[in-house]
Amino acid sequence: MNTGISIHESLKEIKRLKNEPLLLIVIVAIILFVCYFAVWPVIKVVTVPSLSDYGQLFTRSRWISALKNSLFMTLVSTISCTTIAFLFAYTIARVDVPCKRLFRFITLLPIVSPPFIVALSYILLFGIQGIITKGVFGLRVDIYGRFGLWIVQTVTFFPYAYSVIYGVINSISTNLEYAAYNVGASRWQVFRDVFFPLCRPGIAGGALIAAINVLTDFGNPMMIGGDLALLPTEAYMQISGWYDMKTAAVLATALLVPALGIFVINRFWVGQRSYVTVTGKEISLHPFELPKAVKWGLFSGCMAFSLFVLLVYGTLLYGAFTKTWGYDWSLTLDNMKYVFFKGEQILNSIKFAFLSSILAALLAMVLAYIVQKKQVGVNKFLDFIAILPGAIPGLFLGIGFVMAFNTKPVELTGTSAIMVLALLFWNIPTCYSASTAGLQQIGNSVEDAALNLGANSFRGFKDIILPLLKAPFLSGFVLSFLRSVTCLSVVIFIYSPHTIVGTVSIMGLVETGQWGSAAAFTVVLIAVAFGVLKVARYLLGKQGIKLEL
Amino acid sequence: MEHQDQKFIEFKNIVKRFDSFTALDHVSLTIPKGKFVTLLGPSGCGKTTLMRQLAGFAEPEEGDIYIKGKRVNGLPPYKRNTPLVFQEYALFPHMTVYENISYGLKLQKIPKSVIDSKVAEMLEMFNLLNLEKRFPKQLSGGQQQRVAFARALIMGQEILLLDEPLSNLDAKLRVEVRTELRMIQQKFNITTIYVTHDQDEALSMSDMIAVMRNGRIEQIGSPWEIYFRPANPFVANFVGVVNFLKAKALKQENGILAVDYCGKRIGLHSNLEATQGANVLLVIRPECMRIAGPEEDCNNEVFLEGTIENYSFLGRVIRYWIRVDEETLILDDSNPDLSGSRNGKVRLILDQKKIHVLDCEDATC
Ligand SMILES: Nc1ncnc2c1ncn2[C@@H]1O[C@H](COP(=O)(O)OP(=O)(O)O)[C@@H](O)[C@H]1O
Ligand SMILES: [Mg+2]
Repeated sequence: MNTGISIHESLKEIKRLKNEPLLLIVIVAIILFVCYFAVWPVIKVVTVPSLSDYGQLFTRSRWISALKNSLFMTLVSTISCTTIAFLFAYTIARVDVPCKRLFRFITLLPIVSPPFIVALSYILLFGIQGIITKGVFGLRVDIYGRFGLWIVQTVTFFPYAYSVIYGVINSISTNLEYAAYNVGASRWQVFRDVFFPLCRPGIAGGALIAAINVLTDFGNPMMIGGDLALLPTEAYMQISGWYDMKTAAVLATALLVPALGIFVINRFWVGQRSYVTVTGKEISLHPFELPKAVKWGLFSGCMAFSLFVLLVYGTLLYGAFTKTWGYDWSLTLDNMKYVFFKGEQILNSIKFAFLSSILAALLAMVLAYIVQKKQVGVNKFLDFIAILPGAIPGLFLGIGFVMAFNTKPVELTGTSAIMVLALLFWNIPTCYSASTAGLQQIGNSVEDAALNLGANSFRGFKDIILPLLKAPFLSGFVLSFLRSVTCLSVVIFIYSPHTIVGTVSIMGLVETGQWGSAAAFTVVLIAVAFGVLKVARYLLGKQGIKLEL
Repeated sequence: MEHQDQKFIEFKNIVKRFDSFTALDHVSLTIPKGKFVTLLGPSGCGKTTLMRQLAGFAEPEEGDIYIKGKRVNGLPPYKRNTPLVFQEYALFPHMTVYENISYGLKLQKIPKSVIDSKVAEMLEMFNLLNLEKRFPKQLSGGQQQRVAFARALIMGQEILLLDEPLSNLDAKLRVEVRTELRMIQQKFNITTIYVTHDQDEALSMSDMIAVMRNGRIEQIGSPWEIYFRPANPFVANFVGVVNFLKAKALKQENGILAVDYCGKRIGLHSNLEATQGANVLLVIRPECMRIAGPEEDCNNEVFLEGTIENYSFLGRVIRYWIRVDEETLILDDSNPDLSGSRNGKVRLILDQKKIHVLDCEDATC
């Protein structure tokens, strides 16, 4: 399109806004709000260090190795995540095997869990006091470092890649494969020439999602990284150990750059290469039956991995009710009592997650509605600021909030408000994509139809648009609630003794070796997360809507 | 009152622009009460846009719209009472069939008992009994479409706007619904504007057709006029298969225009005032010619000689492509012989009364 003309059109649309003052006020307010709380912290972090501070990144050997290690871990964990994710996605979508419900459950579990839970459980299994290493074999092994981290990140982040890949595989009509069989292709040729090429955008997208999560992962390296220098943990050490904001900012920026890169590639390159919408509405045939060996091979792969994940979670559950892990394996409720005693932290978790998610879902819905249904001249820009926070690592956002809001005019350090606001902006992209997807389902003329039948604009919005947005609103809310309850990286920098949340204290308990209490805390958090998920599914299910994660 | 009935709906010089693009270019159209009027034209010619101006979803840049003599420019859509059936139905996905149909009446705060009986009447009329508790996505395409009709028609039986309502149905159903729709329209004497790009639909249902192209109305007339007396080659082509023959005008006398085609003098029923020697275009429908029998004496008829190039058997008719001089003419033989198609050299007899003449001197030709 001609830029000159489109700018001209945008200006015309902006001028027309004068007739709708309410809409204009809302748009200006949103832009100011988002810029102040999402763009300003970024600018602050990036601009605080001087050029020579940035120079350290390439001269101090610890930072060089942190950079290298972060990229290396991202690479290997992404490869393993994507492989496992493809295995699960292909098996669940295309192969007729038993236990699919279990496999689905396995792809969901890590998403509703705190990000470090696998690390914690891994320590309980294989650590110095580990039930397998010490309890069964009487071994002393050092599990901290690259290898442990790799295993743990693979289990933690494969579900994110899975959901993208599964979505794409599911949308590939099996009729296309039959068309290839029909012209004489063998099974392997169909897989290689038709199926796999169609999956490629999904695999690329899934890999990038996994990569961004691994790269910015904070919880797992914190617990199991040991001496391995990584960008997120080093940044944290700078602040918690030395109060060195400048160096922390340098490291965080070093993290932001590749994260932004991955984000941009995913959104603008992979996103455009999807074939998803190509096939029509025809009913798909059943997938072609695989050779027995392949089928059961896939099944065993999924099963083995699933059992490992179950072992991880089972251990955690066992740990939550064990007296002293490694010494006294007898059962007890003491750990749960401890959690109860610290109930305020769980309540804080729920409170902040609830508030920030409600607000994020509301703001995202208004944004999505304006971007999708109104021509206001700045639609592209609004869309951009709504997805922007998705490119900012949680840790970076946390540091940004500390640096941007510790002085007047908006001094928020240590308040509940800063917790809610940080989580809110961390969640906006999640809710925004849910609302956008929901709105795209609503045909443009449905609202016109209501007007045509005598409903004024307000009535039309209330009777038609709002009810239709209920489902995307709820699914955005639930998703961000789950993310917030289990979030560590954002809040670790901004909590205060009054606003401490569950995830933060779990980290503290792990650092001091109080495994039982840490496990109990984690179990309670997962229970809360699952409880909310179940309730939301039930509520939506009553209206015949399926909640997708 | 008589006067107002003649001008039940009126568009006066409507201009609608989308930035620099003119979607409606001085469109004027008057619709009498109780008539079925079709806007016919290729996709993108502005039919929907014109309909949307009437329903109030958009305001024209210039021109006036009157409903029952009242100017409605600026009146919001919910005050116009112009029930519209949308092309993609636009049923409310979260409401049941009952809720969809009753929504408009509910907004008018009509007592529930009255609504119930009116909905029941609609369900009956559109054959939707027992489906009232279903949601739109649990209905077939045809059923959804009938719900859309019911939802519009329940709003009163004065005006009904239909925007390509049949385009999502399969061919057979489309023909059935056509007849039903026309019957309902006539029974309640509903002033109807119907948008379509399908000439069969337009010809078979309408009292009056407005043929549109590029945001302008090309011709307004009855189906007969549009079909047999098209105002220009575009209209002729758009409403059906047609042959054009270039000829020269000779003389106009008492409604008979004599023309010269390849040295043949042909007298045609036409009031066209063409100067001698002016270029004219003969517009001949495929069914307005026939093939003379081998022994037939053609001396009292207007006939052309040609060679059959190709044919296609359509059941009711055989369609022939016949080479006559430079042109290939299309001829429909509506009385196919049991023994199969004709071939070789034939004589084509023209039905003089049904041949239409267009002045070829202006730019439209
Ligand atoms: N909201 C709009 N913005 C810009 N162009 C439009 C808009 N609505 C319609 N048009 C253009 O106006 C022309 C007529 O459209 P429409 O009335 O929908 O045609 P149709 O005769 O197929 O119903 C088309 O070229 C279309 O692209
Ligand atoms: Mg249209």
